[in-house]
Amino acid sequence: MLSRNVRLWLGLIAIISLLSFVSSCGSKTEEEPEPGTNTAGSPPPPSKGNEGTISGKVTYAGTAPEAKKIDTSADAACTSKSPNLTTEEWVVKDGNLANTFVYIKDGAIDGANKLATYAWPAPGAAAVLDQNGCHYKPHVLGVVAKQKISITNSDPTTHNVHFTQGLNPDWNQSQPNGAPALTHVLNAAEVMVPVKCNQHPWMKSYIAVLKHPFFAVSAEDGTYTIKGVPPGKYTVVAWHEGGAKGTEKTMEVTVPASGAGKADFAFGGTALGQPASLPMLPAIEFPSLHNH
Amino acid sequence: MSKALHRFAVFVACATFFLIIAGANVTSHDAGLATSDWPLSNGQVFPKMVGNLFWEHGHRMVATVVGMLTIVLAVWFQVREPRSWVKRLAWGALAAVIAQGLLGGLTVKLNLPLVVSAAHATLAQLFFLITVSLAVFTSKRWVDAEASPDTVEGPPLRAMCVLSLAVILTQLVLGATLRHSATWDQDLPTPLLVAHICGAGVVTLVLATTAAFVILRHRGETYLARPAMIAVSLLVVQLALGLAAYITRMRSPYDPQPLNPMVAVTVAHVACGALVFAATIVLTLRVFRIIRAKQSEYRLAHA
Repeated sequence: MLSRNVRLWLGLIAIISLLSFVSSCGSKTEEEPEPGTNTAGSPPPPSKGNEGTISGKVTYAGTAPEAKKIDTSADAACTSKSPNLTTEEWVVKDGNLANTFVYIKDGAIDGANKLATYAWPAPGAAAVLDQNGCHYKPHVLGVVAKQKISITNSDPTTHNVHFTQGLNPDWNQSQPNGAPALTHVLNAAEVMVPVKCNQHPWMKSYIAVLKHPFFAVSAEDGTYTIKGVPPGKYTVVAWHEGGAKGTEKTMEVTVPASGAGKADFAFGGTALGQPASLPMLPAIEFPSLHNH
Repeated sequence: MSKALHRFAVFVACATFFLIIAGANVTSHDAGLATSDWPLSNGQVFPKMVGNLFWEHGHRMVATVVGMLTIVLAVWFQVREPRSWVKRLAWGALAAVIAQGLLGGLTVKLNLPLVVSAAHATLAQLFFLITVSLAVFTSKRWVDAEASPDTVEGPPLRAMCVLSLAVILTQLVLGATLRHSATWDQDLPTPLLVAHICGAGVVTLVLATTAAFVILRHRGETYLARPAMIAVSLLVVQLALGLAAYITRMRSPYDPQPLNPMVAVTVAHVACGALVFAATIVLTLRVFRIIRAKQSEYRLAHA
């Protein structure tokens, strides 16, 4: 009888292991990465010397959420270098919003050739992502697909750089203090690739990967300028982090030959930054908890 | 029967429970990839335990200790244990802890793929099942117990206990998959969350019914009634912790970092889940030991 019990346990273990495997496989909802496959396209049209710009200002309407204090006590090196570290989700000064990524999402050059059919070559110069004071500089970064990203560690502590999986594959690398710069390349166009440090979980950065170089990040005064834009009609998107996936604003902009297109964006309101009430599953909402 | 061996088996089971808590802390702090190498951490055996490396490397150190304890346990069983099936189970414990270590390494090297991470968390519970079982099998009461027929008419307790164990394990698998499918700064996937909540309802129904029957039929037999009472009491605590974990976890994507309330509650939820499982294992084994199978069950089992 007892040996039968042992067989029963072993059978149960096998069934549960199988269930674990099936359950894990079935819950995968992320889109499978296909590195490089969405960056194919013909070479861009040669410059006609009549490129223009898209510029504007990003503002925050209403009272901006206060930056949250970060507890860096888990690593004394972080505390000593950045004693007053706060979140960079909403950097608002006089109503102007920094760290917003503005880019051309779609459109037609000269009203005919779809922007999406072209793929611009990656710039020779590497984009730089520095870990300084236990936070990333810059907080938001844009690169052209296949452009090199140089990752440096300016802190007296070990970081790990973790590019999380989306269309681009997961990449995680430890970088001790004093170690040489790491180089990483993102092949698939993707807005955004969240970068984090699992050593210091408050450290976050966002990298946008595009097929073209028509993007900019808003400065502290909220302004941005996208240069070298061929004349045409474009869909311009402003992306800002917040919550789990961030928020996008869209605008149609026309760039005349050798001229300037203008697109101002306003974020704000109750839907951004933090939940107005405790987020609940639609199917199992508990009304009594709504006022938390 | 060696009293020292039983005490050591209990100690290993307790150490395994502590290891589960250490592992849960790794997940809740999002520390699984605090270092990209394995088995060393940042190329060192004893790295500077700062930031989340404290949790990840600390978990590895506790796991190493539990692995060594399991080696001693397995060898000790071969020397002192007369029952061959218990000896084999002790080897099974060693095989499980080795597989668990390799899964832990694999999950780091592959950057925490959901399948491997969930399997790592599930195998942790199964290893705990084995160590708790070894502790039960070596107890004096187990050896001295005499089987008696379950004369009262009603549902077969053996089958109910196995069903309880099966639904709890399924719920643990669902919970492990849910926890590893999103980090603290991401929203939990709704289908898995709903499945886990529904699973809680099923576990409550099955375990509470089983425990009620055990307590009602064997009120005077503390050997059976006590684990049933403990399992149900822990289940109540677990349901409360589950609700608290849901509330704190739904807020965490808006926090600047994994905050203590979310970490403490989710780790406690994992730990209490393991305890519910352990209490049900003890109850099931004792029921199998004490209550002789009815002829109908016996025929069914041998059909």
